[in-house]
Amino acid sequence: MNTMTEAQLSELEQDLNAIRDEVVADLGERDARYIRRIVRLHRTLEVGGRAMMPFGFIPPVFVAATVALGLSKIIENMEIGHNVMHGQYDWMNDPSLHSQSYEWDTVCTGDSWRRTHNYEHHTYTNIIGKDRDYGYALLRLSNDDEWKPRHSLQFINYILLSVFFQWGVGLHELESERIRRGEIRLRDKLPFLMDFFRKGGRQAFKDYLFFPLITFPVAPIVLAGNVSANLIRNLWSSTVIFCGHFTQDAETFTGAECDGESKGHWYLRQLTGSSNFTGGKWVHLLSGHLSYQVEHHVFPDLPAHRYPEISAQVQAVCQKHGIPYNTGSFARQYGTVLKRIFAFSLPDRVRSKVPALSMGQAT
Amino acid sequence: MLARHNQSKALQWLGKQLFNREDPAAFFDPLLERINPMWVQEYTPARVEQVLQETSDTRTFVLKPARRWQGFEAGQHVNICVEVDGTRRNRTFSLSSSPILWQKQGLITLTIKRLPGGRVTNWLHDHLDVGSVLGLGEAFGDFTVPEPAAPVLFIAGGSGITPVLSQLETMAAQDYRAPVTLLYYVRTSEDVIAREKLEALTARHPALTLTIIATHDGTAPRYLSDADLGTVPGLNARQVFLCGPKGLMDLAGELLQSRGVRERDIHCTFFSVPQANIEDQPLGGQVRFAQSDLEVGSEGDANLLEIAEAAGLTPRYGCRMGICHQCSCRKTSGTVINRLTGQKSGPGEENVQLCISVPQGPVSIDV
Ligand code: FES
Repeated sequence: MNTMTEAQLSELEQDLNAIRDEVVADLGERDARYIRRIVRLHRTLEVGGRAMMPFGFIPPVFVAATVALGLSKIIENMEIGHNVMHGQYDWMNDPSLHSQSYEWDTVCTGDSWRRTHNYEHHTYTNIIGKDRDYGYALLRLSNDDEWKPRHSLQFINYILLSVFFQWGVGLHELESERIRRGEIRLRDKLPFLMDFFRKGGRQAFKDYLFFPLITFPVAPIVLAGNVSANLIRNLWSSTVIFCGHFTQDAETFTGAECDGESKGHWYLRQLTGSSNFTGGKWVHLLSGHLSYQVEHHVFPDLPAHRYPEISAQVQAVCQKHGIPYNTGSFARQYGTVLKRIFAFSLPDRVRSKVPALSMGQAT
Repeated sequence: MLARHNQSKALQWLGKQLFNREDPAAFFDPLLERINPMWVQEYTPARVEQVLQETSDTRTFVLKPARRWQGFEAGQHVNICVEVDGTRRNRTFSLSSSPILWQKQGLITLTIKRLPGGRVTNWLHDHLDVGSVLGLGEAFGDFTVPEPAAPVLFIAGGSGITPVLSQLETMAAQDYRAPVTLLYYVRTSEDVIAREKLEALTARHPALTLTIIATHDGTAPRYLSDADLGTVPGLNARQVFLCGPKGLMDLAGELLQSRGVRERDIHCTFFSVPQANIEDQPLGGQVRFAQSDLEVGSEGDANLLEIAEAAGLTPRYGCRMGICHQCSCRKTSGTVINRLTGQKSGPGEENVQLCISVPQGPVSIDV
């Protein structure tokens, strides 16, 4: 894909840096007020959801409580946790919103996430073999992985991954595929596993034990509501994340072409490896503005609510340099994700015979 | 720094399970703050009850801290935190009121001068009105009234008078028996902070002698001199308290020494941060930030916090002057010099405050 010269890349770098500098210089009160408002919304939804849940024997209350709790988890994970841990609000110097100490409401520990996501995924975005987020080492999403019979059933894996997404993400750092291949030993991962069980246990304790038990006579209702809220969050966040990198036109890269790359090349990779989706204000909020995945990948530590504001500038830069800017409606983008998962579950011979299944490729 | 962790162990454990944080009560802060900012749990809130104009550039803020605040001794300082343009800023100020006011009415005062270019002091003057709420830390510092009573000499400069005000008032209330002298240096007679209060105290408390000296009223500047010290009876038997700008503190230190006042009888409070003289030591080195897998070189007396920030990292910090420990981090190897004390650290693993640690040779930090 790299048809740009070093000079062009360095111009790209400057153009994008200029956008970034402008936002950084303007950070202040408005951003602080925004994130505080979102935190308040989260607290309101969580407190409200938990308080209503015991009255869930009244069906509409059950629905309201479950939706409130589900939304609270989505907002906390996507718009608060993910973004805070990227350091988007570190400049506020608020200990509750500090990237290095934030701990979110999901199984994956903040520390593990900071390593696997902030560092690995955002540095090696879409480099096959290095970005373990690409297919989560579970799905075959490009022909860089050789087809194996087990891939034919990967659609089932995909659904399981979505349903248990928070556990999948929590276990991501285990690198089970490398353990299976004998590259590392389980023993090396013991400290990680300890943390995983501690945090996972904590999450399970509160949603599946503590809150049901303190509302004993209605425990099954509370349990069902909490399970559903977690499920809502899991399905939504996995969908959003899949739409960010696995759409039809999102490109993949090989390690060789990224060795010793310049910042300009890194920018280019972020631009072409990510994809956006359009939607209303709420869609953006609930996706943690990962609907602006392109902007997020180019500027992971700018406050996410700024992405819509700079999107036009980023598009203009893309246009100037002849770089595709991958966006589309949520339905369209998600459709191409499903198509990709399906297409690569087939052996290449079969897939190449069906023109409708052609996909963005590693080059 | 301003956090309180005094919940019981069991509650803390439960809070961790339910809210994933060490200070579970603070989980509700965003909501509580809306209902009543004085209910915030993460720090001790204090409401501004009154603002008094002392001089053209100095104001006294009368604050009512939440009742859980632990109180203070005369001469101590507090950290406060305010949000300026979305960023939380922590600063240290001396309490200018006496503890008696706190005990009787639950009030404390901070007397704050606008510093030219000072981000926080200017903000405080421009935005802190009656009804505003700021965050308050617990009091600290050992610039406190001698006990049992001993003769005392205060040498204060400019807004360095603030802790002295607190002490004088406490002494007057206790009917402090030993002689007390205050030499108070100000630029012009317009700049005297709390003149009325000082005069009232002198009238009320016969043991107190007050001398106010304007350094820039005449044609030639008139600084602290040996003759000024000569006016203080029994100088060598006195406990001396210094608080003011660095120039005054240095000068006072020299003059006192030449008059044979013993080092242990001289008490300083930081006003501008006293810095140890570390210039004559080799400084700088390769700094490795382990967690972010980053290595940068530094030269001269840049501290680790500045080095980290220059490298694009954002470690947590507060006061940036070695007080609040917000910036404490694990040093895994290498030697650093504490710029306040001039002391060298050991080469091994230990906690250091980034903002006052200057690397000497290669250093590795867990950031
Ligand atoms: S920032 Fe306060 S001690 Fe370093």
